[in-house]
Amino acid sequence: MSIKLQNRLTPYLFLLPALVFMAIFTLYPLLSVGYLSFTEYDILSPPQPVGLENYQKLLVDKIFWLSLRNSLTYLLVTPVIIVLAILLAIMVNRKLPGIGVFRALYYIPVITGSVAIGIAWQFLFDGSGGPVNGLLISLGIIQKPIIFLVDQRFTLPIAMLMTTWMGVGYYMVVFLAGLQAIPEDLYDAAKMDGCNDLQKHWHISVPGLRPSIVFVAVISSLSALKVFDEIYVLTNGTGGILSSGSTMVFYLWKQAFKLQNVGYASAVAMVLLVLTLAFSIFNVRLLEQGEE
Amino acid sequence: MSTLVEPNSTTRARQARPTWLSNLLWYLLLGAAAFVTVMPFLWLLMTALKGPTDAVFSLPPQFLPRDPTLANFVRVWEQLAIWRFFLNSLFVAILTVALNLLVSSLAAYPLAKMRFPGRELIFYLLLATLIVPAELTYIPGYILAVRVFNYYDTLWALIFPNIFSAFNIFLLRQAYKSVPNDLIDAARIDGASELRIWWGVLLPVIRPALATAAVFSAVTSWNALLWPSLMLRNRDLYTLPVGLTALRGMFTADFRLISAGAIMVILPILIAFVFAQRYFVNGLGGAVKG
Repeated sequence: MSIKLQNRLTPYLFLLPALVFMAIFTLYPLLSVGYLSFTEYDILSPPQPVGLENYQKLLVDKIFWLSLRNSLTYLLVTPVIIVLAILLAIMVNRKLPGIGVFRALYYIPVITGSVAIGIAWQFLFDGSGGPVNGLLISLGIIQKPIIFLVDQRFTLPIAMLMTTWMGVGYYMVVFLAGLQAIPEDLYDAAKMDGCNDLQKHWHISVPGLRPSIVFVAVISSLSALKVFDEIYVLTNGTGGILSSGSTMVFYLWKQAFKLQNVGYASAVAMVLLVLTLAFSIFNVRLLEQGEE
Repeated sequence: MSTLVEPNSTTRARQARPTWLSNLLWYLLLGAAAFVTVMPFLWLLMTALKGPTDAVFSLPPQFLPRDPTLANFVRVWEQLAIWRFFLNSLFVAILTVALNLLVSSLAAYPLAKMRFPGRELIFYLLLATLIVPAELTYIPGYILAVRVFNYYDTLWALIFPNIFSAFNIFLLRQAYKSVPNDLIDAARIDGASELRIWWGVLLPVIRPALATAAVFSAVTSWNALLWPSLMLRNRDLYTLPVGLTALRGMFTADFRLISAGAIMVILPILIAFVFAQRYFVNGLGGAVKG
């Protein structure tokens, strides 16, 4: 092989392994799931094309609409997590003895893993005498314990709370890095202008964190759209009474791997894909605005 | 971005309020937040230590065990090979990280430092895959695992689909970009091949970014639940999250044993975190400006 040709091939050879893995494990599956969404398929016998039937079924499937609504509701986690993470970042962004310990403690839920955390949360919210019920009763807010985990009104909110609790430490670190990139003289200038602590953060920290806020909004909303673990562990894989906690990915999993309706599940996957793409375009717009 | 600038100490000195009072208030606030993040784990631990006469659930709830015992841990350890789950998780995490970094660091080099036809196209293709939730690929991925690659119910099923990561490629591309071109040109003049430059010149320089990518991939692999639970049937191959799910199924009514199992399962990553906290925090949080 001539040196010149070899030079020209070099970049592609470097990229080759990544592109091969991408083709096999991302691109092919996406095309395949698109095709399967127009078939009836149970994995055992070959897929039978059925046209738009799966999508027509989706339109009248109440659990599908519930899952879609739940996934969209889940996006409420994003603003909550942003506010809490900024507050935590401001709290730990000071020179106090032992501040590193606090940062670490806030970070533990990020790395622990959803199964163990799900078990802990089932205990916390236990209906026969978990600490949350104990607390609410001792504060006089409720008289009798609430059976949180079996009550369909609470499945999704508890999962969202768990997502927030698990994620906030990660985003805190993101915002901490953002805060520390803000020049100190800005705060000094604000103080000379007579700003108090709160005004100082509102007028300097929040605008200064804008790039981090956009980043966190993108990451946390994309992960909210594909939430699965929290629902799975909190409901022991049932999705809650009457599927009250079902989300898009949970419903996809249930249809594909519990009920063997692989074609139907693929249609759910396609809806999630469209939803994610639409959301990403919205996010990119937001990013572009931020860069102006 | 890893050099975190501490706030100027003179700012505090200028404050009119007595420092100790303001510090006390901050500690109270910090302590309250720490209570919220740590309490669930303490509750698990206390439940795991409870003896047969202690109530797991009661009103008002009982926090401390009156009859503390390690018997729950012993029983779980005897009935379930948690050490095996741990080794499986370790094997998967190490191989995933090593192969992922190899493939990503190779791919990111031309994207950062070379001009060639199709670069834009590949770049945007990678960007697009960044958005696609991996969960969407699980149905065809399952069929591939069973029909094509025959790695269903082996640990390889958890490794191969996670070797490609657009996120890591972008992270490393950003790191390569900050390497001065002179460094690469000098090596080229010396007659080094591109592979030599990549291995000998670039990789040592981007080591912090590699560490970041490694920690991120390792934690993701370590805690993965959905895909491993689809792929693994044989109990001997379970990873820690799948094993803990099984354990909960086994001891349905015995919350003391479930807690003991959960504590044992989270212990390895907690220990890793205590000893390598800096890498975890920089690794997971430092990816922002990537």
